[in-house]
Amino acid sequence: MERPLSPTYDVVIIGGGVVGCAVLRELSRYDLRLLLLERESDLAEGISKGNSGVIHAGFNVPPRSLKARTNVAGLKLVYELASTLGVPHRKTGKLVVALADEDKPRLEELKAQGDRSGVPGLEIVDEAAIRRLEPLARGRWALWSPHTGIVSPYELTIALAECAAQNGAEVRLEAPVESVRVGNGLFRLATPTGEFAARRVVNCAGLFSDEVARLAGIDDFRIFPYRGEYLITDKDCGLRLAMPVYPVPPRDDPGLGIHITPTLEGNILLGPSAEPVGDKRDLATTREVAARLKAEAARLMPEIARVPFIHSYTGIRPKLFDPSGGDRFGDFIVEESKRKPGWISLAGIESPGLTAAPALAEMVVAMLGARMDLRLKSDFIPVRPHRKRFAALDDDERAGRVAADPGWGEMVCRCEHVTRAEVVAALRNPFGARTLDAVKRRTRCGMGRCQGGFCAPRIVEILQDEGVPVDRITKRGGGSRLFYGRLKG
Amino acid sequence: MMRQKIDTCDVAVIGAGPAGLAAALGARRAGAGKVLLVERERTLGGILNQCVHDGFGLFLYKETISGPEYAERLAEDVAREPIKIETGAMVLDLSPARVLKINSRAGYRLVEARAVVLAMGCRERTREMIEIPGTRPAGVFTAGSAQNLVNLQNLRIGNQAVILGSGDIGLIMARRLVFEGVAVKGVFEILPWVSGLERNVRQCLMDFAIPLELGATVVEIRGRDRVESVVVAKVDDTLAPVAGTERVVPCDTLLLSVGLIPENELAKRAGIELSPLTGGAVVDESLMTSAAGVFSCGNVLHIHDVADWASFEGFAAGASAARFAAGEMPARETVRVSPGPHVKYALPQLLTRGTAGVEWSFRVTCPLRNVQVVVKGKATGKVYARKKFPRVLPSELQKIKVRPAVEEDLEVSCHE
Amino acid sequence: MSENAPVDRLTCVLCPVGCELEVARDAAGGLDVKGNQCEKGIPFAEEEVLHPRRNLATSVPIKGTAARMVSVRLSGTVPREMLFPILAEIAKLRPEAPVRRGQVLIANVLGSGVDVVATRTVL
Repeated sequence: MERPLSPTYDVVIIGGGVVGCAVLRELSRYDLRLLLLERESDLAEGISKGNSGVIHAGFNVPPRSLKARTNVAGLKLVYELASTLGVPHRKTGKLVVALADEDKPRLEELKAQGDRSGVPGLEIVDEAAIRRLEPLARGRWALWSPHTGIVSPYELTIALAECAAQNGAEVRLEAPVESVRVGNGLFRLATPTGEFAARRVVNCAGLFSDEVARLAGIDDFRIFPYRGEYLITDKDCGLRLAMPVYPVPPRDDPGLGIHITPTLEGNILLGPSAEPVGDKRDLATTREVAARLKAEAARLMPEIARVPFIHSYTGIRPKLFDPSGGDRFGDFIVEESKRKPGWISLAGIESPGLTAAPALAEMVVAMLGARMDLRLKSDFIPVRPHRKRFAALDDDERAGRVAADPGWGEMVCRCEHVTRAEVVAALRNPFGARTLDAVKRRTRCGMGRCQGGFCAPRIVEILQDEGVPVDRITKRGGGSRLFYGRLKG
Repeated sequence: MMRQKIDTCDVAVIGAGPAGLAAALGARRAGAGKVLLVERERTLGGILNQCVHDGFGLFLYKETISGPEYAERLAEDVAREPIKIETGAMVLDLSPARVLKINSRAGYRLVEARAVVLAMGCRERTREMIEIPGTRPAGVFTAGSAQNLVNLQNLRIGNQAVILGSGDIGLIMARRLVFEGVAVKGVFEILPWVSGLERNVRQCLMDFAIPLELGATVVEIRGRDRVESVVVAKVDDTLAPVAGTERVVPCDTLLLSVGLIPENELAKRAGIELSPLTGGAVVDESLMTSAAGVFSCGNVLHIHDVADWASFEGFAAGASAARFAAGEMPARETVRVSPGPHVKYALPQLLTRGTAGVEWSFRVTCPLRNVQVVVKGKATGKVYARKKFPRVLPSELQKIKVRPAVEEDLEVSCHE
Repeated sequence: MSENAPVDRLTCVLCPVGCELEVARDAAGGLDVKGNQCEKGIPFAEEEVLHPRRNLATSVPIKGTAARMVSVRLSGTVPREMLFPILAEIAKLRPEAPVRRGQVLIANVLGSGVDVVATRTVL
């Protein structure tokens, strides 16, 4: 079959997570023909949806590492970006808690580490201060980090891409790169729906960045998947948590330890754990880890043991080494391949990847700009089209919206108060994402306590109204179909 | 703050299922002037619209008919009265001062009611709430959601199903799926007894040789994109899975019929006291909640197994609401009624001091034979009522009437 | 004479008493019903064990639509063996709107003596 001829792109980004989308937006400031290829049926389907949503201040990582430098640089940028793009976020501050006096030196080490990296405002505080800052937290001492915050990682990812799209960047979903040919200064990337030629490629494929790199004949690194499970409480669990509470990082934990994090909506996240998994796509939760999450969380916050949970999820960290082998630290890889110039790989972007994303994007632009002519657009639009959610409007605003468009008067999600107009707008996103999870991520339908029991049949109706045949209605693309045709007729 | 005019009414009924439809009628028949009935679906009837099987109406209509027929007949009675009906309209908020915030395609507005009847029904317990580990593939449905998709949208939700939970919804859906050519591999129930009616076990499972396993549950869901199998295991007396009893059941669909929960979001927003035993509001014999002039009935008050009784509760709540709206319900002192041994809950939880002839609804905690249910005074030990039952099941709501006037706190208990 | 193992146990639903019946085969090959408190229990148990009758309910799409559904049931019970053949007949139905509650969609379906009736009004 003849592949359709497509124009040559200046830069193709592989991977639609927060890093790929941050790079896309940053590049969309310049006069470049851009394309992002994402293998799944929506953006943020990988690690970008399976994390704690924490904006880290930068003291968790060794100073002078790339992780530390991009974290500290990214910290300022992330808050600005979230504001500019209208992504809800909050600078909550954070406590790293030592339950016993003998753990205090670990806190002092963390503070020293942060001080050396230029992290502002870090302070060791005592039990009384802990109570004042976060009444639910327990501990003898804590490291107080006033600049840590929370943001929805997938909302940020989608907002970055929407802004880039508005500035002319293209995004293709369900476009896994299956083979790469290199020659004549171009990379030819083949996907099931077309071949794309690019002068430069930025590999942001997350868990699959090693496999994608190997397609181009680059075998410089390997990803070891480490899964983390999370539990989410009901918004009405009776506990109001103001800020993330972390334990002193356990020495034998390849992550930051099981912590407790509020979301902007008022849920509380417990997790993550950290276990090696054989399959990068093994997103299962387990009884054992769920029990361990509750037990560990209860040490930091006894009340959490008794609250109702409404959901659990997992995320898989892309580690660049096998932690069970004894190594403790692996830095971000951001490098242009020497053997295949023009191909930049970002690999091992685990925590603090969310915070570092905008700084990583600037780094990539600098690397590309070294051997490429980058001309700033005069008409770059830094914001994205965005409307406040119905649930967040006051009575007068709501009345106005409904009067102007009755679709805002039809309730679809009972638990989260989402209207039909919002569901339709979500389905008409610029990327063509039309799965149930795509609607969920953009509207919150299905994230409430009934977990879609009430709204899913209604969204199924709307999907059909929007032209999706019943057999193509999926939870998250691929084989995750809900139906096998009609019963009659 | 809304700058628009606030509408008013005498009685606002939230929800037009079997309880709400009855409450609107009850309010009108008790003399309420302006009665407003608000329903979020486009049609009246609530959950009845998807309950195509018969078994409804034995008490209200003296014949057994299907859910849609029951709903239509009640809706016709409502249509004969000057009751203002709003469909496709959802109440988003209720204040203690009885101001409703209603959203519909016709507009977003506020309504202040002299009295309110809560009849919002219930939602289903989810996979996450019972913490089934494993992957999160497509193909996991709660039984009620599946019923909606099958009966109202003509959709084939799968080819080979496993059902967790032996409540009536799960049993009814087992038969429904078999009728539509979907294989049902088995029904698993964590308790040692069946939750649903024996008649449904016969007509939904035994008729089709669908295996029923008690004392077992689903301990893992497998499948990357769509369900590929579930792992089931036996449980011990603490309902914990017994290691070594696991087996894999290949299937592409898992239906969960693991409990209904009264949907009391609005009650919480209005600061109404809820009972952890029922999941619904704490009410007195007039079905009034802790918020003056706010009444509750049907599944939102406590989960019913017979729709007719939800309607009877609705008639009563509507009538009470009308009396309150007319200023005929002064505040009074109440005594508390609590459940004793073997009784899960007794409703109403409050009783106006000195009232006689009130009937209590209650559920037992486990199946028992040859029992005596006793209502006695907590302070004096005086027995106010006694009733013998040859057999009681947790799945069957029972009643006991107390004839004498009551001046003290009571306990309802069940003894063998 | 040896003890006859019960072939079935069932609860009678004819009245609120709910007698728990035990049905066994007697020496003559007929049924022996125990546990009934009135004589109605015996034919009830016999019918349920020997010639069970059932009703059924399902829904069918209005003609020309994919999912505008009319719920239907039978006007009475039929022998259990007839359930699937009757379901197959019902599956062919594509009633035209308007359909009224109680409207007969198939009269005397498969000679059973019962009708398939609509259980809701669809305009």
